[in-house]
Amino acid sequence: MADRYSFSLTTFSPSGKLVQIEYALNAVNQGVTSLGIKATNGIVLATEKKSSSPLIDASSSSKVSLITPNIGMVYSGMGPDYRVLVDKARKVSHTGYKRIYNEYPPTRILVQDVARVMQEATQSGGVRPYGVSLLIAGWDDGIEPETAAEEAAAPDAEKKRATGKTGGVLKGGPSLYQVDPSGSYFPWKATAIGKSATSAKTFLEKRYTEGLELEDAVHIALLTLKETIEGEMNGDTVEIGIVGPPADHLMGYEGVEGAQGPRFRKLSPQEIEDYLTNL
Amino acid sequence: MSSPFSINGGACVAMVGKDCVAIACDLRLGLQALTVSNNFPKIFNYGDVYLGLTGLATDVSTVAETMRYKVNMYRLREERQISPQTMANLVSSSLYERRFGPWFVSPVIAGINHTTGKPFICGFDSIGCIDFAKDFIVSGTASDQLFGTCEGLWEPDLGPEDLFETVSQALLNAVDRDALSGWGAHVYIIEKDKVTKRLLKGRQD
Amino acid sequence: MASMYSMPSTTPGYSFPSTHPMTASGPRQHAGFYPYTDNGGSTLGISGKDFTIMAGDTRSTSGYNINTRYEPKLFKIGGDGPKNEGATIVLSVVGFAADGHALKERLDTVAKMYKYQHGKPISVAACAQRLSHILYDKRFFPFYVHAILGGLDENGVGALYSYDPVGSYEREQCRAAGAASSLIMPFLDNQVNFKNQYIPGSGEGHALQQRMPEPLPRHEVEEIVQDAFTSAVERHIEVGDGLQMFVITSNGIEEIYKDLKKD
Repeated sequence: MADRYSFSLTTFSPSGKLVQIEYALNAVNQGVTSLGIKATNGIVLATEKKSSSPLIDASSSSKVSLITPNIGMVYSGMGPDYRVLVDKARKVSHTGYKRIYNEYPPTRILVQDVARVMQEATQSGGVRPYGVSLLIAGWDDGIEPETAAEEAAAPDAEKKRATGKTGGVLKGGPSLYQVDPSGSYFPWKATAIGKSATSAKTFLEKRYTEGLELEDAVHIALLTLKETIEGEMNGDTVEIGIVGPPADHLMGYEGVEGAQGPRFRKLSPQEIEDYLTNL
Repeated sequence: MSSPFSINGGACVAMVGKDCVAIACDLRLGLQALTVSNNFPKIFNYGDVYLGLTGLATDVSTVAETMRYKVNMYRLREERQISPQTMANLVSSSLYERRFGPWFVSPVIAGINHTTGKPFICGFDSIGCIDFAKDFIVSGTASDQLFGTCEGLWEPDLGPEDLFETVSQALLNAVDRDALSGWGAHVYIIEKDKVTKRLLKGRQD
Repeated sequence: MASMYSMPSTTPGYSFPSTHPMTASGPRQHAGFYPYTDNGGSTLGISGKDFTIMAGDTRSTSGYNINTRYEPKLFKIGGDGPKNEGATIVLSVVGFAADGHALKERLDTVAKMYKYQHGKPISVAACAQRLSHILYDKRFFPFYVHAILGGLDENGVGALYSYDPVGSYEREQCRAAGAASSLIMPFLDNQVNFKNQYIPGSGEGHALQQRMPEPLPRHEVEEIVQDAFTSAVERHIEVGDGLQMFVITSNGIEEIYKDLKKD
């Protein structure tokens, strides 16, 4: 009964716009700024964690989320919508991939799956678009064989591409995507979303260099946040997730040959404080 | 006799060698004792991966085509070839989807992993349980005979030529002791960047 | 579930039924009486120019149980005394062990009677035909065994006869019988009779010449027998524990025992 009379709320205006999507983007642009920077050996996702009251227990809420062991996500916009998307992303990474291939989806595949969920909300009856933009960061193990001969033949080429891994599933490495309420997605080297996205991106354009290392990327991420942050900056008001080397200590066991820990992990408040003191 | 697995007959075997793998099948298609065709290959290619299917012939064709569709979709979505290991898990999950009304097939996979360069073979039961063997996998109505010949003839680290001889002799002598298999064979020798397909005549009875 | 449709065996099938005929009969005692058991195991025989080798594993099973790890399936026929000394014929039986023993007793008696009456040992050919008759005598309540008879013929050449349970028989170069016969027989075809082997460079396609079988030397045959059994042990649960071999030559019968895997 319910779906018999459920028409899509997102309908074209005479000028060819879908204003519902533009409204959703407005919601994103009022949201707290988030940013992501891709380095040669990893990616950093960062955001500000704002509390409306000093009574809120900051440590129990979280804006940066793990989706698969190698993929993490952050948002700007509406928190409740984001949590729904995190649930759906985690679910689809299993039903649509791991349960079929017994391996986690590559970053681009997950991004496409999440983008499809968001697009469907712009065309289905009885629903509204999600009021969030996402930054999705992940690491892929490449499928191209690592040719030792090739690297030995051109030792000077080694410097030009610090790891040779430029992201994507063929060569492997880090990739960073933005997904919007319309369901469109873009790959970035570094970007920002939310309230101060424009100024943050201008800042990142100045600071970003090719061949950046993860440590530098975290540094730049904090500097960028510092430009836009409204309150105090400390381990409890900044949230950071990184995609880096495999964190074998997070596996919960050791001694299994070939087992690899998750590459995505959130930095603890203490770790963030340490970065901040060195800023 | 009325088992769906032994109506049409057929045999398939895969073997690991040194930096190479082999997969071979017979060519018979029968209806119980009556031979209907002597040109019914049971090995199908999916890029880097070779899939052998024995069992009920209609299911062999359907599963082969279903996997063709799934692998084509994988290639288009992911812009890469499917690896033998990923293919194995895809076959497994596809078979388990039919847990309570299975495809009456016994699949075998052989291939060399493009990333690691390592040989890979595995076999399945009809509901998708994977048998990761280091030496050889057999399937079909001549599986008992194949177990005997493979166990007797196979040794580790065979080169491509010796592996061809071993897998061919294992298959030919096994199907000659199975009334439902035989009538010629296809043999694939898979190396890192070369695949050799040979057609064996075998006994025609 | 298993009774709905039989799945393909990725391992060799068991030689005993999964549901015993007796269990279906319930309280009725004699209507469902089933006098046969399959005791598993495997035997084989290969004949050479001047010898015959008979072999069998020594495991005895019923269902998934192992009754004993040493129950020979090879019997000397027609010798003297309790140890059958001076015998030149060997009978191997695999299937229902009790029938095997009964059959052995009958054939041994026949062979001994022959010697007492004729004053000379029975020839393998005669013994072979007699064995066929003994089996056929019980055409409608058969000895549940697959028998192989080995010895030397009148010319001193290795002789081997194989039987079905009701006495149909044939002289052959080699034969495998029992639980793992389907595993061993194609291996023997290839290694003893050179089946599917061609002489390299002897022609193209159909012009290729078959490699002709020739009697193998004793040490090669012993190796083939051992390989056949170690292979069978690997893939069949009813075969294992020990390998007993009787080598029949003009000098008599030599017994060789080798351990097999006990798992």
